[in-house]
Amino acid sequence: MSTSTSMPLPALPPTGRSVRAYFAPVDRVHQAPTLFDPSLNGRFAASTPPSPWIDLGWIESFERRSTSKFGELMTGSPGTTQFQVRQTLDATVSLRFKAWSKLSMALAAGSQHMNLIVPAAGGAPNGSGSRGVAPVSLIAGSTSTFLAISASDAAGFSPGSLVTVDVDYAAQTGYVGSGVYAAYISSAAAVNNDPDYIRRVSFNVARVTSSSNTGLQLAQPLIAGVPAATMRVQPISGFVDREGGRFFQEWSALFVIDGEQGERIVFHYPRLQSLGGPAETATALAPPLERFALSAAFRALPVTDANDGEQVVCFRSFLPSPVTLV
Amino acid sequence: MQNAKDTFYITLRSRLAAVNPARTMTLRAATRPGILVSEAEAPPAQPLLDVFALNWTGMQADLQLPAILARMTCEIRYCTAGTQNNAGLDRGRALEEMDSEVLKLLYPYSAPKVNYTQDPAVTMETIVFWSEPEFDPITTLRDSLSRTVKVTVFAFQEQGEQ
Repeated sequence: MSTSTSMPLPALPPTGRSVRAYFAPVDRVHQAPTLFDPSLNGRFAASTPPSPWIDLGWIESFERRSTSKFGELMTGSPGTTQFQVRQTLDATVSLRFKAWSKLSMALAAGSQHMNLIVPAAGGAPNGSGSRGVAPVSLIAGSTSTFLAISASDAAGFSPGSLVTVDVDYAAQTGYVGSGVYAAYISSAAAVNNDPDYIRRVSFNVARVTSSSNTGLQLAQPLIAGVPAATMRVQPISGFVDREGGRFFQEWSALFVIDGEQGERIVFHYPRLQSLGGPAETATALAPPLERFALSAAFRALPVTDANDGEQVVCFRSFLPSPVTLV
Repeated sequence: MQNAKDTFYITLRSRLAAVNPARTMTLRAATRPGILVSEAEAPPAQPLLDVFALNWTGMQADLQLPAILARMTCEIRYCTAGTQNNAGLDRGRALEEMDSEVLKLLYPYSAPKVNYTQDPAVTMETIVFWSEPEFDPITTLRDSLSRTVKVTVFAFQEQGEQ
């Protein structure tokens, strides 16, 4: 028995509606990005990316630029280019996030992205938030979507409130933050030995949907998964970033264009570091109503391709339409 | 989208009852604030005088957001011939009064979305919001003056919402 298909069409120009962005943490300590293998997962469903990729939705004004420089080796008279060499390897990416969230805001801000911890009474005013209320401890039984805390502690959190969940700062130096490295601490003095500092910068945040005698039910899983027993919980009211700061956010990124004929184009940047400070772009809806998007720019940093040892900053994959010649 | 349209109408109707309780109409044997949704009433032979008629016209949707953002155009049309006591000579003043009321009905430019298909009505998660009014020029037809005000109403589609 044999099977056949109709004669494929010639290769067609890809036509897509928009670009969708996915980001995943980079292990800064071990300099290990999250690698995406298009031969394994290239056809993932757009709304359910493979773990640990986080869907940041449709983006706009996506633009990638190769800024690598090339040189030539010339011989003879008159000089004639005989060979080319790649002098520098460099690339940038810019885009706009349509939706504001902890992650999109942090990516666009570039530097440390802070949680506004609900302040304790009598704290001195400060631009990124003052001293916070006392954190509450976890008890046994927490999951990535449930924080087990005592009934009396749970009573202090109302449905709809926001929380940050992370360990106390205890004089450690280096990268900090559970799930995602959120800041680099050079010394305890640099952060005033603030026990809340890690919770202040942590990406391990969520919204509370309900509060009970046994703890807090979360509307979304914590990025660090099941919380460690040493983590503590503090209420937050929002987020703040700054123009300035010495820390650079670094993330692995995927940008996907789905074509109308079933083809898919995937741009994978294993290491993207922020290249710019916070900025927004307004798009008119119906004057004076405007929609505000987060502008973000990144520089691509290199990884080594295990197949041939080449240093590269980006992988562009094309998964052809099933109806065309290749 | 229907919840957003219902919310917009009920919001304006409630505000009208507070802004000008005397502006009422009797329609289908019921006296109520002088504002209606044209598509929910029998087509009138001629425009009703001294009431606000909401007409839903344009519709767009931004599908590339985490939740669909619906953008609907509502044309608020109203017409007046002034009062009989003044032989209609006050029709300019009457129209100005309705212009002023429209401004008050629309502000603030938002309201919590409510599902009025349930009894009792259920307040939903998001806020319906709308643009500032865009007043068209006056149209004169015999002894009456009319105007159309365009407003763009925005609403995020919530999960499970029809």
